[in-house]
Formats: sequence, structure tokens, C-alpha cells
Amino acid sequence: MTRNMGALVDITKCIGCESCVVACRLYNGLEPGQDEEYGTARDGNAELAPNKWTVVRSCRTEKNGKQIRRFVKQQCFHCLEPACASACFAKALQKTPAGPVVYNEKLCVGCRYCMIACPFGILRFEWDKPFPRVLKCQMCLGRVTDGQMPACAAACPTGAITFGDRDKMVEEAKNRLAANPDLYTGQIYGLKDAGGTSWLYISDAPFEQLGFRTDVPQKPIPEYTWQVLRWTPFIFVGWGALLTGMYLYTKRRAGVHEEEEMYAAVDDDDGK
Amino acid sequence: MKDCNDDVEKDVEKKEITRRTFLKMAAGTGLLAGLTGALAGCADKSPEHAGGKGWLPYQYNVAGNLPAQVRGRVPIDADNPSIVRDDRKCILCGQCLEVCENVESVFGYYSLPVVDETICINCGQCSMACPSGAISERDDTQIVFEALADKNRFVLVQTAPATRVALGEEFGLAPGTWVQGQQVAALRRLGFDAVLDTNFTADLTIMEEATELIKRIKGEVRKPLPQFTSCSPGWIKFCEYFYPELIPNISSCKSPQQMFGALAKTYYAKEKGIDPGNILSVSVMPCTAKKYEARRPEMNASAAYWKRGDLRDVDVVLTTRELARMIKEKQIDFTALPEEGYDRLMGEETGGAVIFGATGGVMEAAARTAYFLIAGQEPPALFLNLTPVRGLAGVKEAAAEIPGVGTLRVAVSHGMANGRKILDAVREGRAPWHFVEFMTCPGGCIAGGGQPRTAVPPTDAVREQRLAALYKADASLPKRKSHENAEVAALYRNFLEHPMSELAEELLHTEYHSRADKLKRLFAKVV
Repeated sequence: MTRNMGALVDITKCIGCESCVVACRLYNGLEPGQDEEYGTARDGNAELAPNKWTVVRSCRTEKNGKQIRRFVKQQCFHCLEPACASACFAKALQKTPAGPVVYNEKLCVGCRYCMIACPFGILRFEWDKPFPRVLKCQMCLGRVTDGQMPACAAACPTGAITFGDRDKMVEEAKNRLAANPDLYTGQIYGLKDAGGTSWLYISDAPFEQLGFRTDVPQKPIPEYTWQVLRWTPFIFVGWGALLTGMYLYTKRRAGVHEEEEMYAAVDDDDGK
Repeated sequence: MKDCNDDVEKDVEKKEITRRTFLKMAAGTGLLAGLTGALAGCADKSPEHAGGKGWLPYQYNVAGNLPAQVRGRVPIDADNPSIVRDDRKCILCGQCLEVCENVESVFGYYSLPVVDETICINCGQCSMACPSGAISERDDTQIVFEALADKNRFVLVQTAPATRVALGEEFGLAPGTWVQGQQVAALRRLGFDAVLDTNFTADLTIMEEATELIKRIKGEVRKPLPQFTSCSPGWIKFCEYFYPELIPNISSCKSPQQMFGALAKTYYAKEKGIDPGNILSVSVMPCTAKKYEARRPEMNASAAYWKRGDLRDVDVVLTTRELARMIKEKQIDFTALPEEGYDRLMGEETGGAVIFGATGGVMEAAARTAYFLIAGQEPPALFLNLTPVRGLAGVKEAAAEIPGVGTLRVAVSHGMANGRKILDAVREGRAPWHFVEFMTCPGGCIAGGGQPRTAVPPTDAVREQRLAALYKADASLPKRKSHENAEVAALYRNFLEHPMSELAEELLHTEYHSRADKLKRLFAKVV
């Protein structure tokens, strides 16, 4: 599988049943913590956690003067050029060819640079563990490379989550927007945000009102640091060359000075 | 002369292995070996796995506990008064969705996106179908236990007809075992101050509703026919969501539970000299929707009567399952209890009230009394065994001759998917009936969302046993018609005056409101 897979979440179709949350927990073997309530949609209070890789947050807002409630599934966006993978110097986070951005706990050193880098604030650290990991959705890599859809998409009863080639998902989103211009806002979240993400969203309420970060740059995050980092080899080689040159020059000068001194006329008071 | 170069040559020739050089060699080898080993450990041991020749974290080779086929589930709000769900137990079997969509025709009968409410009629059939028990009723037993321990509070309880043929199942008895007497005894031992019977108000409901039906037929009340029963709160909410234009057809009578609640804090409190503010009005119901019904804002007739805004007609609703848990928690040996009778004033029943728990039972009880009220004479034997309205067929129809009126045509349905057939006929103007009974739960209240989970999902076999028990009890009671209830007669004589009097309208009748703005309804489900 070499094509980047993607998912389209249609917020107008979500009823807040949280089948996706349960499916994710079952597939990934996530255990609820002690004293933790595992109940139904908590009206926007559901938070991502090391043992909750996807949550459904409910947002109350207004549309045409009427109170509405929309449910938003939140999980890792699996960016096309992930900032977390770029920030990780241990290569614990990597973008796979199939699309999912996957985490290897054996390589992770727990520095949390990835958490700072992520523009969506998705990664969650295990603060209370002695050997902490930083966990997030893995887009069910085992299933996706096997040709299946992730567990959450498989469980959804209304078809709010569609899965397939990212390009096809973009096309599907555009088709829906064109077919229902009065319903949708016209924006596809994730099309260009952070340089493009694998998880795309379409909605009938503005994304700012649904808790999405709309100030995320429209180009890939690693591109910012790339402006500086791409000079590294040149600086490395160039500086080395410069220093080597200076060294050779100063050595030659010192050598010449020594020789001159050796063969210089001895200034004798006697004049012999 | 000694050349300085000679010393150097000598040292170069004599390259001996000292302790120091040996240790250096050993360290170097060890370092090299260790480095090689560490690097080798990072090699990809499973080259041709998910991700191809790439690298894959070991833990994601495990498939986890996801069932082979997952199906979605019904949405349940966190503040749903009737049911709660424990997500740790959900196995994504999809049975809740099946029932909600196919048996109750709620899920899928509205177009998306939603507005702001989760469309739920609180019937609890999802909890009856859930194989892992993830969905269950909201537990209100602690509130009742606290009130029972409080000496200052007068805790009275009413019991629905359907609970007395099912409560025994929680203690190992066969489905349909008649445990009316033991239930009363258990409630007394739990500490309830008065144990009363919803059957009393079931008879009262028949008096009010039959009177209303006659008025509608005669044109004395300007409301359309057919008249719909109104004792099933799940059905009421369903009508408000999906058929609000037919709300005028619904009888204005409250359900027996709510009539009881209104009288408990007015009639009963006055007769017994109790401060209504001290009364905790509890009910034991086979139904989860009753928890929602008790909280409907308009269900506070006693507050209006006393002009005290803090009164609610029914404070707490317990399901049959919750009562069983309370009995077990207090370690009462249920099967060894003696049979006891209800307290007086609001504890008398007739056969007509007992069969309220059956599908077709309300209809049969109403027919018995309607005949009497219209014809002025007792109904013939047919009305005491109205077989066309009995049984588990989804939609039942009957026609009966009533002298002075002609043919009374009635229909009965249970399960809202069946109810839709009648509602669509009424909407389209092709309804030949005068009176229609709607029950939300298949089989009627005996298979309500709060009943013991003897069979998961509920089976017709269990339903038949419970139904048979109700009809058997009806046949063996000395009084089988609601108008023969002496306590009901006393209530009219001493308090209400007559059916549909002004006071009766205030306490025992109610209004409904359209919920059409909460959804965009569909008459055929979205596939």
C-alpha cells in the first residue's frame, strides 16, 4: 500500500452515539483508569487522554437563530507532513506510506517535543507512569494496511465517517459541498490546514464554533524549521572548511615565523 | 655517541604486550561487540508486515478485542432520566439499534443533521435487548433508601399492575407467578409508610377516559375521533415527535401513575391529615419512560392545588428491577413472605385494572365501562373475554355492539412500528375506529423497559406467561369492571364529584405539546 489513505468526517451525520469511541477502545485494548467514568457523551467535556485516543465532543451553537448541538469526533489528524515526526529526534513518530502517523514506544525518550510541535494539541503524555509514553490515534495501522477501514469508521451507524484514498475523500467532500450548498459551510477542514491532513471534516456550522483551531498555518509545519535546517550540511561543511583553512594558514604562519626565528641573525652584544 | 634515533628504533622493535595494552585491547573488543549487538537489536525482525518493508511498532501487530463484526449503537444523552449506559460493557453488537429502529421505529425516522436533542422516547427497549447489560435503568434506589430512613418523611408507594406478574422472576420464580401479596409485604418490610395500588387509579382512568370517549362520540366535547389512549409515556413522546398533528386525538387523561401522584398529595394527604410537603411519592413501574413522565414539567397538579411550587406529583419512579435490588440489599427473603393486602383509601382493584398491563387490556377495561355508561346496564360476557383485542398480534381490531350507540370499533397496537400503521391510517383519513389503544412496548407493560431481564432479548414465551397470569387474575377477581371499584366511587362522592368535573380536570387531565421543532421527521426510515 503506497497511497495515502484518508477519512472524511461529515459532522452533519454524527448523532453522538460514541460507537467510534468504544470501537477504538476495543481494538487498541485501552483500559479505563481507576475511578474513571466511561459513560455517554458528556456534553463537550470529553477529553483525549493516553487511554482515550478518540473522543466525541458536543458543542452547542446557533444556526439561523435556532439552538443546535453538533458532535465532533476528535483524534490525531495524521498530517501529510507531521510536525511531531519532524520534531522527534529519536524517530519514535513516523509517517507511514499508508498514511497513519505511528508511534514506537521503544524509541521514545519522553522529551515531549512532539507535544509542543503538534499544531492541534493531540498527543497525550502518561504523566503518572514511571516509564511514560506519549499516545494518540494510530489509525489502526494493522487494519489499514490490510485493506480495511479503521475500527471507528467500521462502527459508525450513520456513515458519518467515510474512509479511502485521501484524494478520493477530498473529491467526495467537494461533491457533497456542491450537492448541498445550503447545508454545508463550504469549507473542508484539513484540506490545507498544517499542510494537509489525512482526516478531513465538513460541517454545517462554522468550524470556530465547533472547537476547531482555525489559526493553524496552511503550510506544513516542518517547512518553517526547514528554512533554517536545510542549511545544516552547508554550514557543517562550510564551517569546517573555513576552520580548516584558518588552521592551515595559522600553522603555516607559525611555521614560517619559527623558521625565520631559527635562521634569524643573532643579535649579539659582542658583535662576534 | 648515542644517537637519539636509536632509542626510538629500540622501542619500535620491542613491541611487548603489557597489562595495560592487554586491557586496552579487551575493552576495545568489548565495546565493538556491544555496539554491534545493540545495532543488531534494532534490525527489523518482521520485514513483510503491515507497513511493508518499513518498521512497525510491535504492539500494533495485536488486533485487540474488536469483534469480527461491529455495529453502531443508539445515542443516549448523559442526562437521560430513564436509562444510562456503561461503555465498559458495550460490545458493539448493535441490538439496541435494531430494537430502536425496527421495533420502535424511532432511530432512522428523522433526517440528519440533528437539532439539539437526542431523539429518544425513553422506552428502555434498548436496555432489554442489550446482551451485556451495558444499558440499564437510571438507579434511583438511594433516594428512596434515604427517605425511608428519614422519620419525618411519609413515604408512600404505588405499584403498577404489570410488576406483580414479573417481580418474582428476580427471585427464581417462574415468569407470570402472581406475587401481588408478597410485593406488598416486601414494600412494608422495606419501611414504606403506605403501600397503595396503581390499579386504583387505573380504574379511575377508565372512568375518566370512558366518559371522555362518550362525550367525543356524542359531540359534547369538540375533539376528534378516534380517541387515543394516553397511559404510555413513551407513546405520548413518540406522538409529540412524529405525529404532532394528531395530538388532539390523544385523551386528555393522565396515566394511572400520574393520576395517583396528583391524588396522593391532595386527596390522600387531606383524608389522612398529612402535610403534602412531607410526602415522598414513589411508584414501582415496569417502565423506564415513567421516570421521564414524572419529570414532565406539567406533572405538578398538587403544586397548583396547594399553591406550593415545590411539590411534584410523583417524586421517584422505581423499576421492577430496582425494587428487586432493594429487596435483595435488605436481605428480605421474598419467596418466604406472606401475602399481604394493600392499604385502604387508594388500594382497591378490579379485574379491569389488573389487565392494564396487557396489550389490549386498557381497551378491554374501557369497553366494559363504556358499555355500562352508555347502555346503563352491565356488559355481556363477551366484554369480559374480549379475545379480538388479546394476544401478541401487532395490530388488533375489534367491533362490539353497544345498545344506544351502535357498533363501537376499536384498534390496539403495541410496539411503535405497529403503531405507525394505525397513525398513518388516521393521518390519511382512512381510520374507521372510535378508540385506539397504543402501547410502546411489545406485549404491553408486562414487557416494559424496567421489567426483569428473564430473557434477553425478551421472548414471546415470557410475554405469554405474564399475560396469562394477568387474565387469570382478572377472571378470578370478584369485581371485574372499573365502575364497580368502591374506593373510586368514594373518591367521586367525597372529593371529585363526578368524572371530568372541574377538580378532576385540574388534577387528572393534562395537555401535550408538539416536539416537531426538535427533528425533521421521516415517514419511512433512512436506509
